[in-house]
Amino acid sequence: MSTTMSTSSTSSLEPLFAFLSYSLATAESAFYRLPGSAVIVRYVKSSHQNDPGRTLLELILIIFAIRTLLQSRTRTDKQQKHFIEFNEKEIDELVADWNPEPLTQPLSAEDQADIACVPIISGPTGPKPRLVVPNSPSPSKPVINLATYNPTGLAGSEYLKSRAISTLRKYGLGSCGPTGFYGMIDVHLELEKAIAGFLGADAAILYAQALSTVASVIPAFCKRGDLVLADRHASFAIRKGLEISRATVRWYEHNDLASLEEVMMGIERDERRRARRRGCLSSLTRMLGLTHKRMQAKYIVTEGIFERDGAMVDLPKLVELKNKYKYRLILDESMSFGTVGRTGRGLTELYNVPATKVDMIVGSVANALGTGGGFCAGAEAVVAHQRINAPASVFSASLPALLAVAATEAINILSASPSILESLHENARAARAALDKIDGIEIPSHPASAVIHVCLKPSFWGWREPATDEGTPTLSSPGLLHPSSASALVPPALSKSTSSKSTSSKSGHSLPSYSSSVSPTSQVYPPPSAEQIAFEESILQEIADEALGQGVLVVRARRLRGQEVNEPRASLKLCVSGGQAATGAYGGEPGGGGLSKKEIEKACSVLKSAIGKVASRRR
Amino acid sequence: MPYEPSPMAFRSSPSQSIFKKKSSQTLSPMTSATSYLSALSQADARARAASRSPTSTPALSLSSSVTGSSEDTVLDDTVMDNKDGLLLPVRPPTSEQVFDTVHTEFGHCGNEEFRYTSQHTPGEPVEGHVEKDPPYYILLSTYISYLILICIGHVRDFVGKRVHPARYRHLMPYNGYAPLTSDFDSFYTRRLKQRMDQCFSQPVTGVAGRTILCLDRYSPDYNHTQILTGGRTRALNISSYNYLGFAQGRGGCADAVEESIKRYGISTCGSRLEGGTCDLHTISEALVARFVGMEDALISSMGFATNSTFIPALVEKGCLVISDELNHASIRFGVRISGASVRMFKHNDMRSLEKLLREVISQGQPKTHRPWKKILLIVEGLYSMEGTLVNLPAIIELKKKYKFYLFVDEAHSIGALGPHGRGVHDYFHINPRSIDVLMGTFTKSFGAAGGYIAGNKALIDRLRLRGHSGAYAESMTPPVLTQVVASMASIMGVGLPSSIKPSSTAMTVCAANGEHYQHPGPAPPSMLPAWMALPPRLASGEEGWNRLRRLAFNSRYLALGLIKLGFITYGSPASPIVPLLLFNPGKMNMFHRLMKDRQTPIVVVVVAYPATALVTSRVRFCVSAAHTKEDIDTVLRACDEVGDILDLKHGIPKSERWTVDELVSRAVELVNAPQ
Ligand SMILES: Cc1ncc(COP(=O)(O)O)c(C=O)c1O
Repeated sequence: MSTTMSTSSTSSLEPLFAFLSYSLATAESAFYRLPGSAVIVRYVKSSHQNDPGRTLLELILIIFAIRTLLQSRTRTDKQQKHFIEFNEKEIDELVADWNPEPLTQPLSAEDQADIACVPIISGPTGPKPRLVVPNSPSPSKPVINLATYNPTGLAGSEYLKSRAISTLRKYGLGSCGPTGFYGMIDVHLELEKAIAGFLGADAAILYAQALSTVASVIPAFCKRGDLVLADRHASFAIRKGLEISRATVRWYEHNDLASLEEVMMGIERDERRRARRRGCLSSLTRMLGLTHKRMQAKYIVTEGIFERDGAMVDLPKLVELKNKYKYRLILDESMSFGTVGRTGRGLTELYNVPATKVDMIVGSVANALGTGGGFCAGAEAVVAHQRINAPASVFSASLPALLAVAATEAINILSASPSILESLHENARAARAALDKIDGIEIPSHPASAVIHVCLKPSFWGWREPATDEGTPTLSSPGLLHPSSASALVPPALSKSTSSKSTSSKSGHSLPSYSSSVSPTSQVYPPPSAEQIAFEESILQEIADEALGQGVLVVRARRLRGQEVNEPRASLKLCVSGGQAATGAYGGEPGGGGLSKKEIEKACSVLKSAIGKVASRRR
Repeated sequence: MPYEPSPMAFRSSPSQSIFKKKSSQTLSPMTSATSYLSALSQADARARAASRSPTSTPALSLSSSVTGSSEDTVLDDTVMDNKDGLLLPVRPPTSEQVFDTVHTEFGHCGNEEFRYTSQHTPGEPVEGHVEKDPPYYILLSTYISYLILICIGHVRDFVGKRVHPARYRHLMPYNGYAPLTSDFDSFYTRRLKQRMDQCFSQPVTGVAGRTILCLDRYSPDYNHTQILTGGRTRALNISSYNYLGFAQGRGGCADAVEESIKRYGISTCGSRLEGGTCDLHTISEALVARFVGMEDALISSMGFATNSTFIPALVEKGCLVISDELNHASIRFGVRISGASVRMFKHNDMRSLEKLLREVISQGQPKTHRPWKKILLIVEGLYSMEGTLVNLPAIIELKKKYKFYLFVDEAHSIGALGPHGRGVHDYFHINPRSIDVLMGTFTKSFGAAGGYIAGNKALIDRLRLRGHSGAYAESMTPPVLTQVVASMASIMGVGLPSSIKPSSTAMTVCAANGEHYQHPGPAPPSMLPAWMALPPRLASGEEGWNRLRRLAFNSRYLALGLIKLGFITYGSPASPIVPLLLFNPGKMNMFHRLMKDRQTPIVVVVVAYPATALVTSRVRFCVSAAHTKEDIDTVLRACDEVGDILDLKHGIPKSERWTVDELVSRAVELVNAPQ
C-alpha cells in the first residue's frame, strides 16, 4: 500500500477520480499477488456486471468472509520469490524427465511376516474362539483368548444379540446419513443419555468410531493459538488430533504430574513476563481493531489408562492441577471406561471424582461395551459445540442403530450387575499375581488395568545397544518398579473427600499411594532404538507363537513403527476378561461371559512356560 | 436354507404388538385401506393360483423370516392412516408382480418403463462444473439478506452483551477460562445457522428408507432448545444417502444380517491386527476387491476414517497431493496429517488441473526445487454437494502424460453409478486398474457403514500395516460386514461367470468398448460365506439390476424434471444427488417448511455456507432406488408449487418449460431423450 501512496502522490494534481481509480488498480495488482487472491478475483469478476453498487456490497461481504476465513485457514505461500519461469517446451521436458517413486514399495520380508502372523478368528469371538488355520478348511481347537477386548464378557451375550436383531428389524442396519441430515436416530439419543447418566455427566455425543473420536474432539476445541499440554506418551489418536488442531502443544513427561505442573508454572511465568512487555502496544493495536483479542484457551490432554502401557493417571491430582492453573481437561478414557471402577464407570468412579469435574471425557463404546463407536461426555455446551464442529461427527454417517442399542443395553447391564466388574477385577488381580512371578519381563501397567502390557527386560534377554558410549541402558534400574501389590484396585482415599470415599472402597484392600511425591507409575526409560524394538518384537512374537501352540491367544501390541513420535516399547498386550458371574436384573448371560479365574491362571502359566522356552532358546 | 422365524426378533419390540391390535381396530373406517387390502388379497389369491413354484412368495408378503401376513409389507406403522399417501402403493400389484419389500422402506414399482441404465455415451463430451447464474436481483437480494442478517446479528450481540451479560457468559472469558468458542468464531452459528435449526439434526426413528419417521419437535425459544412432542410424522425421504435402497429392516439382506448376529455376535472386539479380524473380514475384502475390479481391498469401520487414517500411509513429506477444491473433509483431514504438501485446483476443471500439474512438476518442491517424490491426485467420483461427476476420461489422459497417481473417493458413486453399479469407472467404461487407489464407503449405496480402499496387493498390504486403523481402530462388526456382503452380492449376482444374468444387455454395451473395461461378472458362490443363503431374487442379481436401473431412472427424471420446470440445478443428470439452487438464505427455511408441511410431507436437506459458497445456498435431493416414479412425481409437484411461492424458477426460459402435469405424463420420454 505504501507504493500506492507514493506513486499516487505525484499525480496529486489530477482529478480525485483518476487518483482513486489508479490507486484502486495498484491495490488490485497488489491484491493479485496476495496468496489466495485468485479465487476471490474470479469470484468478484464472475459476478461483477458493471454495477459499482453491487461490487461494493460484494466487497463488504468479502471482507466479512476473509475475516472469518482468516480464523481457520492456513495460508499456503506460493513461494513467489522462489518461482522460476519456464517456457512451455521446458516444462514439457521437465515433465518428461520427472520420474516419480512408485506409489508403494513391495513388502519386505518382515512386513510379510507381520501380516502373516495376524490371527484370524473363525466364527464368533469370545473367551474361547477358534482360529482360522491357513490352508485348512477346518478351524483350530478353541483357544483361550487374551488378545481381544472383552472385559465385561458381553461378546456373545444372547440378550444383546436379541436386542440387536429386533433393532435391525425396526431400523435396518445403516443410518444412511450424518446426524445433521436425518441420521440422528432416537436410539442414538438414548445411548447418549445412557452414557451421560452412567458417568454422571450432563450430556454426551456419539461418534461412529472410537479411533476418530478423540482425534475429532481435540480439533473441535483446540484451535490455532490455543495451548495444549499433553502427555509425551499419549495415544496415537490423541497425537493425530493435536497435529490437526494446529494448537501449540507442550509435552510433559509420561504420566508425571510433577512434570506437568512444572510445565504449567513455566507457562504462567512466561505469560506474566509477556504481559508486562506487551503493555501499551497491544492495547493500542487492539483499539485500532487490528488484532482480534482472543484469549488463549488452555487444555490438558491425557488418558485415563494409557493405551501404550496401561499406566493410570492420578485423576484427583490432575483435576486439582487443572483447576489451580485454569486448564480444561480432555481425558481419554477409551481404555478405562467400562473396565475400572465398581461398575465400570471409569476413572471418575474409581477415584470418586464427579464426572462434571472433567471437562471432556472421551471414551470408547467399542472396547468395553463390545459394539462400536466412541463418545465424548461433558457439559451441554461442550456437547452442542461438537455437534457442529467436530469433523468426525459432522462429516460422517452416524453409528448403525443396532450397535447403539446394544451399547445402551450393555450399559444397563453394567450398572445393574456390579458382579461383572468384580469378576473382571478379580481376574486382573489373578493375572497380575501370576505374571509378576515370571522372569525376564516387566509390566508397566497399573494393577487395576484390564489390559496388561508385558514388556521384556532387555538385559535379561541379552540386549546390547550396538556401540553407544552410554554403557548399558538403565532399564533395569529400581525406578522401574511395577507396583508390587496386585490388590491395588481402589485408589487412595482423597484427603479432601474422605467421607464419600469409604463407600466406594468396599473391599479392604491395602492401597498403594499415588501421590506425586512418590515416583509415580510413570517410567523414565530411554526411548528404545529401532534395533531394540525389532529385537524385542521378534522375541515377543516368538512367545506369542509359542503360547498359541499351547492354546493361548496373545498378541503383540501393534504399533505404527516409524510413524509414532516417541516410539512405545514393544509389548505383549494381554486383555483380561471377566463377567462370568453375571446375574441380576438381566438374568445370566447365556452365550456371554468371559474367562474364569482358573482359565486366566492357566493362560498365565502357559505364557510363563512359553517365555521360559523362548528364553532357553534365545539366551 | 429355510429361515426359521426368529423367536427373538420381536420379543422386546412392543410397538409391533401394539400395531397388531391397532391395525385390526382401525382397519374398518379406512376405506382406502380396506379397498386396498381387498385388492391385495385378490392379487394374492391369483398369484397363488397361478404359480405353485416355491420361489414365488405371495404378493406383497414379507420376507419369510418374519410372518407371512401380507399386511406387514405395507402396514408396518402404528397408525394405519394413509392420508399422506405414503403407506400404500398408488396401484395395487397385478398378479404377476411379486414385491417382497415393505413399501414404506422400498417402494413397489413394477413398471419396466421406469428404468434406465446409468452410463456414459462414448464420445459425448464430459461436462465440467457449470455454474448457472440466477438473475441479477436474486443475487442482490441474497447479498442484502446476508448483510442484514450480519448487521442484525452484530447489533444483537452488541446490545445483548450489555443487557443480558449472563447469556453471553459462555462467549466471554470467565473465571480465568477462555470461552469455549469466541463470539466471533461462533457468530455464524449463533446468528445465522440458529435461525434455521429447524432444518438440521432432525431426530428420526425407524428405517431411513423411502420414507422416514420424524420425531416431531418444536422450539419455544427461537431454536435455543428443541423439545420433542412425542408425536411422529412419516415423511417421504429424499434426503438419506440410501441410493440403492438397501436401508431395509426386512428382506434378504436383513435376514442375512440377523443370521450373522446369531452366528458371530455383535462385535469382534479388537483392532484388525490385534485379534479383531474374523473370517468374515477376509471374505468381505475379497468380495469388495472383486466388486470394484481391483486386486485387493481392505475394509475399515468408518468411512471418514478410511480417508483420514489411510491417506497418511500413502503419502508423506516430500510428496504432493493435488486435491479438488471441493474434496470432502475426511480427505482434507487425511492429507493434512500426512505431512505432504497440498495444492488445490478449481472444482472439476481439467484446464486448471493441467496448468497446476505443469507448474508443480516444473517447479518441484518449494524452495529446494527438488523433484517431488510422487504426486497423488485425489478426486471424488461424485461430489456430494454439487452432483458433478469427475471427468475421469480426461484425468486418465492427463495421468498418462504427467505420471501422477490417482486416488478416487467413490463414497457417493460406488453402487450409484454405472451400468453395473461399480462407480464412475463403470459409468465411463474405464478399466478400474487404470486408477491406483479406489476408495469408497458402505454408508451410502449399501445401507451399511464403514469404508474400503482397493488397489494392488502390495499397496493394500502396506496399508494394512501402516494405515492407522489396522493397529488402533476397532474392526468392522460382523452385522455390518454381512450387510456389505449381502447387498454387494445382490448387485453382482451370485453364480459362475458363465451363468446368464439380466444385466447381460448392459454387459454387451461394455463389450463394444471391450478394450477399456472387462466387467468382472457375478460373484462365484464360493466367495460368499457358506451359511449365507440369499433369496433367489437377490442371488440372481435381478433385484440388484432392477435397483440400479430404478435409481438411474429416478435420478434422471428428477434432475431433468426440475430443469424442465425452470429450476436451476447443478450436476449431471446421472447423479442421484440433485442440488436445487435457492440462493437466498431466507428461502432455505421456507423451502424446508413448505415441503414438510404438505399433505405428503417431504423431508429435504438444505445446505448453505460454509458447506457451499456463500450465495449458492441450495436444497439437496438424494434420490433412491426405493422411490417409485410416483414419489418423484410428488417431489416434482411439491417443488413446482413451492418454487412458484418462493420465486425459484430462474433456469430455462418460460417458453421452454413444461407444466408439471405434462412432465409427469411424459416422464419416460424425458428420461429416454438423448441429451
Ligand atoms: C466423499 C466422501 N468421503 C467420505 C465420506 C465419509 O463417509 P462416512 O459417512 O461413511 O464416514 C463421505 C461422507 O459423507 C464423503 O462424502
